[in-house]
Amino acid sequence: MDFGSFLAAPEIKLKIVTYRDIFQDKAMIENRFGEEYRDRSAVIKLDPADFKQLNIKKGDTVALKNSFGRIVVKAEESGYETPHRGLAYMPNSPWSNMLVSDETGGKGVPRFKDISAIVTSAKGEKVTELRF
Amino acid sequence: MEKNYYVCTGCGLLCDDIEVESEKNIVNKVYTACRVGVAHMKEAKGEANFRVDNKPVDEATAIREAASILKNAKNPLIFGLGTSTDETQKLAIELARKTSATLDDTSSFCLGPLVEALIQDKVKTCTLDDVRNKADVIIFWGADPSDSHPRHLSKYSYFPRGSEKQRGWEEERTAIAIDIRKSHTAKICGNYFFQIPPEGDTEFIDALIAALSGKLPKTSYNYPPKKILELANILKGAKFGVIFAGLGLIYSLENLEPVFRLMKALNEKANFHLIPMVGHYNMRGFNENLFAETGYVNSVKFENGMVKHGPEYSVVESLKAKTVDAALIIGSDPLSSLPRSVSKNLLEIPVISMDPCETLTSKHAKVYINTAISGVESGGSATRMDGTKVNFKPVIETAHLSDEAILKKIMEAL
Repeated sequence: MDFGSFLAAPEIKLKIVTYRDIFQDKAMIENRFGEEYRDRSAVIKLDPADFKQLNIKKGDTVALKNSFGRIVVKAEESGYETPHRGLAYMPNSPWSNMLVSDETGGKGVPRFKDISAIVTSAKGEKVTELRF
Repeated sequence: MEKNYYVCTGCGLLCDDIEVESEKNIVNKVYTACRVGVAHMKEAKGEANFRVDNKPVDEATAIREAASILKNAKNPLIFGLGTSTDETQKLAIELARKTSATLDDTSSFCLGPLVEALIQDKVKTCTLDDVRNKADVIIFWGADPSDSHPRHLSKYSYFPRGSEKQRGWEEERTAIAIDIRKSHTAKICGNYFFQIPPEGDTEFIDALIAALSGKLPKTSYNYPPKKILELANILKGAKFGVIFAGLGLIYSLENLEPVFRLMKALNEKANFHLIPMVGHYNMRGFNENLFAETGYVNSVKFENGMVKHGPEYSVVESLKAKTVDAALIIGSDPLSSLPRSVSKNLLEIPVISMDPCETLTSKHAKVYINTAISGVESGGSATRMDGTKVNFKPVIETAHLSDEAILKKIMEAL
C-alpha cells in the first residue's frame, strides 16, 4: 500500500490512457455542448482496487489534477478482467485534453495517450463544464 | 430498380453504399451507415450564419473581416482541412502561399508520418478491397475500428466473404489485436488478443522479429515467449497479411523505424501490407495534395515563394512558440482537440472559424462562418484511408456555402 492511502483524503497517482468510443463520438456529432456528450466524455475508468482505495462508489465524482489542470469527472469501473491498478482510461475529449502536457520535445506531438495525474474523491462536486 | 447510393464522410472509410430518405432537404432516414455515420448525415442545421465578434453579420461583412485578418497577419496559421474535399484543400494551399501562411493539419500529431511513408513507397500497402477479397491474417495494432471506424470489420477486414475468401472469418481469416487494453475489437479477436503494457510496442515488435527468425523472443515485461512464437507462426503462414496501424501504436513509438523493421521481416517470410487507420475522412487527401504541391505532407510555412518544413511549423509547435499571429481554422476544433495547455494560445490571436457546427473554437473566434457539411450538403472528392479516390455528391441542398466557396470568396477579397 502506498503513502497516498494514509492521507485523510486518499489519493492515487494515475497514468491515464485515452481511447475512442463510438457512443461518445455519436453524441459529439449530435451536440458537443449537450449532456450526453458530457456524460460520455467526462468519465474515468478505474480498476476496482483503486475504487476501494479511494473509498468511492461507481458514479461518484473524482478530481483529476496535474500541473496543467484540474477536472472533475465521474468514476466508472473499467470492466477489464486484467487488473490495472494505477492505470486508468478516459475517452479522448476536451476534458482529457485539459490534462495533456504541452511538453512535446519539439516534435509537435502531444502525449494524448500518456497523462499523469493525481486522483482524489470529489464527492458532491459537479462534473467540470465544457468552457474556456 | 436502380439504387441511388451516397458516400458517408463520417470517417476515413468513406462508405459508398449509403441510402438516404430525405424530404424538403431534411434527411429523415439513413440506411446502411453506422451509428456515427447516421448521426453525421442527419446533422441538422438552421439558417446559414455569420458572426464577427460574436454578433450576427451578413456574408459580405464576415468575408471582408476574414480577408482583413489574413491580410494584416505576418504569419497566419491555416489549420484543419481533414474534413474538407480535395478541391477545398488545394484552394487552402493556394491561399497559404498567397498569405505567407503556416499550413498544417491534424496529421502532424497523428498518422502523418505513416501516410508520408506510404506516399514515398517505403511500406507495402494495399486497398481495403484487396483486404476484403484476399486477406487471411489481419492485425489491428493499437487500433479499435469497432469504435473508430465502425463498419471496418463488417465491410472490409474480417466478416465479409470476399472473392477469394468465401469461407469467411469462420475458416479463412485470423484477426489479431495487439493493444494495451481489451478494446471492443480485441474482444472480437478472442484468443488472438495480445495485451502489452503501455509503451511496450517497440519491444514487442523486436521480440516478434526475433521469433520470426526462430530466435527466443524476449521483452523486459516478460511477455510469454511461447505466445509470441505462436503469433510469429501465424504471421509466417500469411498469404495476404495486413496490419492496420492505429494511434495506439504510433504514439508509443519514438519514430517509425520499428514499423519498417517489422514490415521488412514479415515480407521476408510472408506477404504483408500496412494501412493507417486514418480518422478524418480526407486527412490522407490533405497529405497527398500538399505533397504534390510541396514535397511535404504537413507542417509547412510559405515564404517569398519558398516552402519551409519541419515540426516547428506544426500546429502544436506554432501555437506553443506563439509564432503565428492569426488563424484560419477550417472544419476543426482545436480548442477541444488539442491540449488546453497549447490551444489556449489561440485566444490571444484573431481566429477565423469555418465550420458546419458550433464548436468551442467557433464560440471564441473573431469571425465565424457556418459552412455546408462536406459530403452531406456539398460534394467533391477525397482519398479514403487506403489511398483510394472517392467522389461524392451532396445528399441535400442547402443555403450554406461550402468551405470551397467561402475560400474562393476570401481569396477574391484579399
